[in-house]
Amino acid sequence: MASNILNYSLADFHYNDNPDVLSPPDDFNEWINNPVVKKVFSFFEQELLDAPRVSTEILSNLDGQKRHIINLTSYNYLGLSTHPEVIQAAVEAVQKYGLSSSGAPLLSGTLDIHTELARKIAEFKQKEDCLLYSSGFGGNVGAIQGIMRKGDYLVMDEKCHRSLVDGGTLSGAKMLFFAHNDMDSLQMMLEKCKGKRVLVVVEGVYSMDGDLAKMPEICEICEQYGAGIYIDEAHSTLMFGKNGRGVAEHFDVEDKVGITFGTMSKSFGGVGGFVCANKPLIKYLKGYSSPWNFSCAPSPAVSGGLIKALEVATRDSSLRDKMWENTKYMKKNLLDMKLDLGDTESQVIPIIIGASGEKLMTYAGEMQKKGLFLQPVDFPAVPAHARRFRMSVSSQLTQEEMDTTLTIIKDVIVKGQQS
Amino acid sequence: MTKEKIIEVISKNIIENLDDLENETIDPKKSMKDYGANSLDMIEVVSCSMRELNIKVPRAELADIEDIEQLADKFMEHAEA
Repeated sequence: MASNILNYSLADFHYNDNPDVLSPPDDFNEWINNPVVKKVFSFFEQELLDAPRVSTEILSNLDGQKRHIINLTSYNYLGLSTHPEVIQAAVEAVQKYGLSSSGAPLLSGTLDIHTELARKIAEFKQKEDCLLYSSGFGGNVGAIQGIMRKGDYLVMDEKCHRSLVDGGTLSGAKMLFFAHNDMDSLQMMLEKCKGKRVLVVVEGVYSMDGDLAKMPEICEICEQYGAGIYIDEAHSTLMFGKNGRGVAEHFDVEDKVGITFGTMSKSFGGVGGFVCANKPLIKYLKGYSSPWNFSCAPSPAVSGGLIKALEVATRDSSLRDKMWENTKYMKKNLLDMKLDLGDTESQVIPIIIGASGEKLMTYAGEMQKKGLFLQPVDFPAVPAHARRFRMSVSSQLTQEEMDTTLTIIKDVIVKGQQS
Repeated sequence: MTKEKIIEVISKNIIENLDDLENETIDPKKSMKDYGANSLDMIEVVSCSMRELNIKVPRAELADIEDIEQLADKFMEHAEA
């Protein structure tokens, strides 16, 4: 392994044949403790020493220095996690209810603020009912696992999030993946499961590429085959559509989408997930969706804060207008530098570097030392030929921060790609 | 190790891991996708085959492989190394 150690990745050590069940595979230890690999991993789990705002402080794993940075990695798209009104609401909730819901929602964990938040989210999404999950990952796993059964078919875009794939695996349904946003491929997969119970699963905004599901075409094809639609709007809720309801609203197809999922940890600035659908289905899920049924209900502080976050984000469009203004500015300037941004149409902007993991890590280190926190995204999270940085544009960015960011990117990535 | 042996192992694992292939002959010029494999199935077939052949090829080197024969060629390189 020593000669090509950098070609290995986390994709290569899933199988474990170590006779000691309490140990990782031997070759994993050899790999992860190699100095070069260690350096790559030093980019992960770096501690933020302040709130995940655009302007924050990091304890750098690269050199052990505390450093003030512009943070374009956190998902705090609308800055709601530190919005004063949201914090105030969270403080009031924690003072009244304490830190924990202290029970599963079905038994004793449901508080009045959970019911209020679920009702308000359902109204916002214009669906009959809503189920709240303590984790976004758990929400996708739980909804898919709760609805689908052995003998059913899940037809998923190949770029769907791990939580959706894991939910599919757990459900026992047969999973077919169609080529990303490719309507011929979708149709081919639907041909294979004619006459079965079929759920088509897509994402509003794809998290590694920032492009949108082709909802009008997807809805038309699904209608033709009688397939249900599940859309994960984790990266699009509160940002897309006239009222911020997401990509389904943006394309005016909300009535054709049976199930809409969202996360509370991105634009909402909290943590958790939600699933909105018709009342009977939500009632059914309460009996069969294990991550809901067997998890403690969301923390009161988070739920109290989220009620306010929803209000702040929807009482007018000022936050998302600012986020879009910033996105437009960043995108224009990055394109002027001739950087490869893939097919992004959203606030998620990939900067695709290519096949070289070494370049990716070198740029990441240099940028961080100049004061820009942009996490490298490496294989297997993205294809090996398209390693990248993923920029999350936030409404919090000031003009000065955007210009500093662009200067650093020019000095490091543009210069590096030309040499 | 011969290429024929490698193709035999890969073919066996395709048949074992995918539905409805019991009586099929696997054509090395085809892709696993042609036999109905999704990306998770492909990972499983590749893992089982590598274990059986006692070789280890980084996944990152498998990205551009288009058919079963190319996979066998890649395995050969590592078997000989």
